[in-house]
Amino acid sequence: MPTNELAQNASPAAGEAPVLYVERATHRFGDVVALDDVSITAQRGEFLTLLGESGSGKTTLLRIIAGLERPTRIGRIAIDGADVSAIPASRRNCTTVFQHYALFPHMSVGQNIEYGLRVRGVAREKRRKRAEGVLELVRLPDKYDRRVHQLSGGERQRVALARALVTQPSILLLDEPLGALDEKLRVDMQVELKDLHEQLGLTFIYVTHSQEEALTMSDRIILLRQGRVVQQGPPQDLFDRPASRFVADFMGVENLLEGTLESVTGEIAVVRLQGHALRGIWCGPRATEPGTPVCVAVRAERVRLATEQQGFVQGANGIPCRTGATIYKGKYLDQTLETDFGPVKARIWDRDTDLSDLAYVWWREGDCAVTPLGGVGTAGVGPAPIG
Amino acid sequence: MDWAPTGTGIILGYCVLFILYFPIVMLMILSFSGEPLTGIPGDWTITWYEDVIFADIARREGEAYGSNFRIGDPLLLSIMLAFITSAACVIAVLIVGPVLPRIRWRGPFLVGFLMPLMIPGIVGGVGLFMWYRLVIHVKMGVWSLVLAHFVWAFPFALLAMLVVASRFDTRLMEAAEDLGAKPWQRFWQIEIPILKPGIYAAGFFGFLLSFNELPFSIFMRAGQDTLPLYLWIQSGAHNTTVPLIYAMSTLVTVASVGLTFLAIRLAFGGQNANK
Repeated sequence: MPTNELAQNASPAAGEAPVLYVERATHRFGDVVALDDVSITAQRGEFLTLLGESGSGKTTLLRIIAGLERPTRIGRIAIDGADVSAIPASRRNCTTVFQHYALFPHMSVGQNIEYGLRVRGVAREKRRKRAEGVLELVRLPDKYDRRVHQLSGGERQRVALARALVTQPSILLLDEPLGALDEKLRVDMQVELKDLHEQLGLTFIYVTHSQEEALTMSDRIILLRQGRVVQQGPPQDLFDRPASRFVADFMGVENLLEGTLESVTGEIAVVRLQGHALRGIWCGPRATEPGTPVCVAVRAERVRLATEQQGFVQGANGIPCRTGATIYKGKYLDQTLETDFGPVKARIWDRDTDLSDLAYVWWREGDCAVTPLGGVGTAGVGPAPIG
Repeated sequence: MDWAPTGTGIILGYCVLFILYFPIVMLMILSFSGEPLTGIPGDWTITWYEDVIFADIARREGEAYGSNFRIGDPLLLSIMLAFITSAACVIAVLIVGPVLPRIRWRGPFLVGFLMPLMIPGIVGGVGLFMWYRLVIHVKMGVWSLVLAHFVWAFPFALLAMLVVASRFDTRLMEAAEDLGAKPWQRFWQIEIPILKPGIYAAGFFGFLLSFNELPFSIFMRAGQDTLPLYLWIQSGAHNTTVPLIYAMSTLVTVASVGLTFLAIRLAFGGQNANK
C-alpha cells in the first residue's frame, strides 16, 4: 500500500528539508518501554498529530522533542537542521502548551506571557508590545493585567498558547491541550487552533488520544501503540485505509469481521467468511499468503439495508440478515442486524426507514477495508524512511 | 445531627480561654502596679519599666542605680541568637523543603527530621550537652547555643515549609525550562516566589522559638545568659528584681505577638490577591 509514500507527499512543504528529525528514539521507565526505536520527521508548517491511547508513548515522544525527557537511547534529534540531542530544553527552539496549562500562579497574565522573553533579556516595553500582540492573536486583548486565577478554563488555555507563541519558536508542541475543556469549547478551540496554524504557518506537533481531534485538524497523523508507530499518513488514509485491525478499531470502525484471505488481485482482496466471499480494499502488505487470517472493516454508516424486492448493487457485498436491537442516538439510529457471522451494525439517518422486512445488509467493496490482524510492527507501516 | 454549639460548650470554651489568658493579662496589669508581689492591682506606676530599661544603662555608665537588674547583654544575645537561628532555618529549609516531598522513600527522612519535636527539651538539652562536650568537643558558649537553638527550631520551620512545598507543582519548573529559563532563573523567578510563605514562616519560627527557648539554653550557656534564662534565674532569686520580671515579660509578650502578626501578614498577605 502507498501509505508511507502518501505521508511524505502529503506534507504541505514537500521538497524543503524537514524542520524536525527524530531518529531512533527509545525510552524506558524502569522496565517499561515507553518508546521503542521510533523515528519521525515533521515538515515546516505541517500540522502533525501524534495519536494513541494512554501509554502509547505519544507524550513521551513530545517530551523528548521538547527536551524535558532524556531518551534512554537516541540516534539524533534535529530542530531546524541543528542537532539538539545534547541541548537542554531551555535552549531548544520549540515551546510546549501543556494539558494542565502550567501557568505561573504568582504572575499576572501579561507576566506569564512575557516570561519566555524575560528570561531572554528582552526589554520591558518590547516585551509588553509582543505580549499584547499575541493576546490579540488568541483573542484575549484586554486580559493583560488579569491574575491567572481569575480566568476561565478556556481563557487559561489561550494564555498558555500565547505564552508558548510569544518566543516565536520553530515548532509548537501541544500536549493534549484541549483535554481539560468541556465538549463545546473543545470543538470551538479545534477550529481556532487550525485557523491559528494556517495564519502563522508554524509547525504544530499535536498530541491527542482523540481520533476525532486528529482527523479534524491534522495534515498528517502518526498513530502510536505501545511505543511504536503503527501507521502514519493523512487523515483520510487512517480513516479509510487502516493498516491493521488495531488501527481500524482505534479509528472507530464499528464492524470488524474476521475471516481468511482468499486472494489479492490488484487493490481488491477477497475474504472467505462463513461461506460468504467478501470483497474489499486490501490495506495490508503486498506479499500476503492466501489463508492468512484477516479482518474486514466496514463503518456502520457505509452499511446499507435492503428488502427482498430492493436487492443490492451487483458486485457489492450482500449478506442476508434479520433485524436486531435498535439504539436511539438522537441524530441517528444504531441498528444491529443479525447475520450468519454475527451482528453487523448499521447507522440509519432516515427516520422513515421501514425496518420490518429487511432481507440484506450490503456495502460496496470500495467502502470496506481488509486488513491483517497483526497490530504492532506490521511490515510496511514501520518507522518512516529518513531523509 | 445538629452541630450548633450548646450552652455548656460555649461556657467551657470561655473557661479554657480564661484559664489560658487570665495569668498573662494579670501579669500585664500587675506590671503597672505599685506592689505587684501582693497580687493586688492598683497604685499605678511605670517605675518597673523604667528600671528594666535604665538600670542596665545606668550601671554601664558607672552610675549607681537602685536595681541590679541588667537586661542589656541577655537581650542582645537573645536577639542575635534569634537572627542567626532564623537565617539558618531559612537556608536549611530551602535546601531540604522542596526536595523532601519528591523523594520516594521520604517517610524515614520525615520522621528523622521531625523527631526533635517530640523530644522533651530537657532530655534534648542533656543529650546535646553530652554530645558536644564529650564527643565532638564544641566549646560551650554562643555557638553551642546557636547549634542547640537550630536543632530545636528546625523541625518547626521545616514543617511550616512542607505545608507550602508539598503543594508546589513541579510541572511549573518544567514549563519555565521549556520557555527558556536557566536553572538559576527557575529558582529565583518561579520556586522562591511560590515558596515565599513557607520561607517567611520558617524564618519566623526560627526567630521566635530561639528567642523564647529555655531548656536547651540551660545546658548550653556556659556563662552566656539568654533573655529567658536570665528571667528564669532572676525569678528564682530572692531579691528586689522580681517585679521587674513582670514588666520584662510584658514587653517580651507584646513584642512576640507583634512579630507574629507581622510574620503572618508577610507570609499570607500577598496570598489574598490570589484567592
